[in-house]
Amino acid sequence: MTASDALSILKGAGATLTLSVLGILLGLPIGLALAIARWAQVPLLGRIVALYVSLLRATPLVTLLLLLFFALPNVGVPIGPYSAALLALVMNTSAFNCEVWRASLLAFPKDQYEAAQSVGMGAALRFRRILLPQIARASLPGLVNEMSMLIKVTPVLAVVGVVDITRAAQRVGAETYEPLPPYLVALAIYVPIVFALLMLQRWLERRQSKAELAS
Amino acid sequence: MAAKILNVVGVSKTFGAATVLSEVSFQVDRGETVCVLGPSGSGKSTLLRCINWLERPDAGDVYLNGARVGVMNDGRLMLDRELSKARTRMGMVFQHFALWPHLTVLQNVMEAPLHVQKRPHAEVRDEALALLAKVGLADKRGAFPAKLSGGQKQRVGIARALAMRPDLILFDEPTSALDPELVGEVLLVMRDLAREGMTMIVVTHEMAFAREVASRILFLDRGKVVETGSPEAFFTNPTSERARQFLQRYADRPIANP
Amino acid sequence: MIRDFGVVWSERGLLLEGLENTAIIAVVSAVLALAFGAVLTPALRSRHRLPLWLARTFVDGMRCMPFLLLVYVIYYGLPSLGLRLDNWGSGLAALVLYNTAYMAEILRGAWEAQAPEPAEAGVAFGFHGLGLFRRIVLPPLVLAAGPVIGNQMIQIIKDSAFLTTIALSELTHAASSIQSRHYVPFAAFITAVFLYWGLCLLVEAGVSALGRVAEVRR
Repeated sequence: MTASDALSILKGAGATLTLSVLGILLGLPIGLALAIARWAQVPLLGRIVALYVSLLRATPLVTLLLLLFFALPNVGVPIGPYSAALLALVMNTSAFNCEVWRASLLAFPKDQYEAAQSVGMGAALRFRRILLPQIARASLPGLVNEMSMLIKVTPVLAVVGVVDITRAAQRVGAETYEPLPPYLVALAIYVPIVFALLMLQRWLERRQSKAELAS
Repeated sequence: MAAKILNVVGVSKTFGAATVLSEVSFQVDRGETVCVLGPSGSGKSTLLRCINWLERPDAGDVYLNGARVGVMNDGRLMLDRELSKARTRMGMVFQHFALWPHLTVLQNVMEAPLHVQKRPHAEVRDEALALLAKVGLADKRGAFPAKLSGGQKQRVGIARALAMRPDLILFDEPTSALDPELVGEVLLVMRDLAREGMTMIVVTHEMAFAREVASRILFLDRGKVVETGSPEAFFTNPTSERARQFLQRYADRPIANP
Repeated sequence: MIRDFGVVWSERGLLLEGLENTAIIAVVSAVLALAFGAVLTPALRSRHRLPLWLARTFVDGMRCMPFLLLVYVIYYGLPSLGLRLDNWGSGLAALVLYNTAYMAEILRGAWEAQAPEPAEAGVAFGFHGLGLFRRIVLPPLVLAAGPVIGNQMIQIIKDSAFLTTIALSELTHAASSIQSRHYVPFAAFITAVFLYWGLCLLVEAGVSALGRVAEVRR
């Protein structure tokens, strides 16, 4: 395997990175919206969200991806590999994020919220200045965990034609008849990133348990 | 005619099968300090929470300065936005302090005047500092609530309620969660507030405080107002059997002196 | 659309076979992973540096690795080193290797949350080493870790779907095959989605049942 081979694998990393970052960035607020729909017990919506989240959390990403990629054009919605990949990633991660956010919402001390109500804060203010800062802090370890899970499933996106790290590695392997080295290169790209996120998550968890002990 | 700050008319509340409040009615004049006493489970806290509609009364009405709380004039329930406006005129002090832990003491006090009343920053800050000095915590303004003792947290809670310049402050068992030696500092602040003319409704078990500071006692038992009157009348010569039993139980308990 | 589901229904044999294969490979790898993980857990709590370091590196390594890449390394890469496994062998090997790490970590967490007294009592009665672990420590551990192991089981079921990329005839592969032959993508994959959901609900029901057993013995 030559240096140019390694380079082509790195180029695939661009697609992986873009899809991962977009998936993460979109999945965070959507997950929060889903969690709030359930937490605020919006009558019909809460139930629908619960069902949706339960389904999505039980669905393998590859199945969801194939469903979106093949079924949407069939019902008249044209979708390319990258859009399908992003959509699958966002649907998947937002469902998991929803549960992380919801755990923090459920653990949120009710009387702080009531104190905000008692001084006349409206719903938007209560959310923005009292609820969100704290649940964001509490949710961080779980959300970072979901980010690392998202990155770990991105190799499957090649299945619908996304030219990412994995597809590039497969291509190099097919050309050089040495399949192992390119996969090891791919691993060498993925493992440090996921490891860094894992360390971040552990640091966040330690910081949080220290804060809990202090108060 | 004395200014009636609060008018509670026939408020009832049930939780599931249990009737917690049953047709509670009373009025509060400006400057009064009403202490609500009663055994556990008598509905005292629920009554307070129905006044600012943290709980929705199943029946009855609450009028603040003549304006109905929770229900519009045409009969429909208030939206969150309208309810919030009504609540700005009432302050609340919580049993477990309910300070916002991600904000400093000063920020806690400034938060609502800044973001709800939208008053100018300099004015809010000056007033907040003055309030903190008033409750004896000026030096703690940059601290986070986690670092404070219970008594200090509650005094911040009182300052936070005062910062909104409310017409009336509701105290929900303000000292029940405090270690005994910290109760006094909070009761002192409350007594001074009462003497300055703040209209207060206090749910408490602190009998000595009620006796000394209250202008009127409201005795609740099993969701009903059983007795109401001046502190001297209530403590020395209760008219109802339930009140007598209640006071008997508290006669032997050591009471904190403010 | 109804017609599409009719097509899927006519191919239900293939779908059920895929479901069966998913269930088989998931259960077999879960059991093996739990067994191997249980062996690895004491190493994670070892006071000796070498076993601790080896176990820790393995567990963290597997946690940082994308599962699908592990599958590809085993299926496509190992043959060049002389180790050729077919798709079932590779799939099983990957699932077991990967989840042994997770199971070891789960059991370690549950172990550390346990009260020390029962184990101490075991030692006082003369249990030691493997016997102590197997008869005294492990049973309450597995009961306590039930929900987390259940979650991992769900993860294994979902990871098994990745094996469609190496042509292992599990559920997603079956749905994919039906889709490509009859052009019924929505019906085929939505049916697969609901079948996966059913499997997960089964696992969660099993965990609840286990929880009730654990309650009695608490």
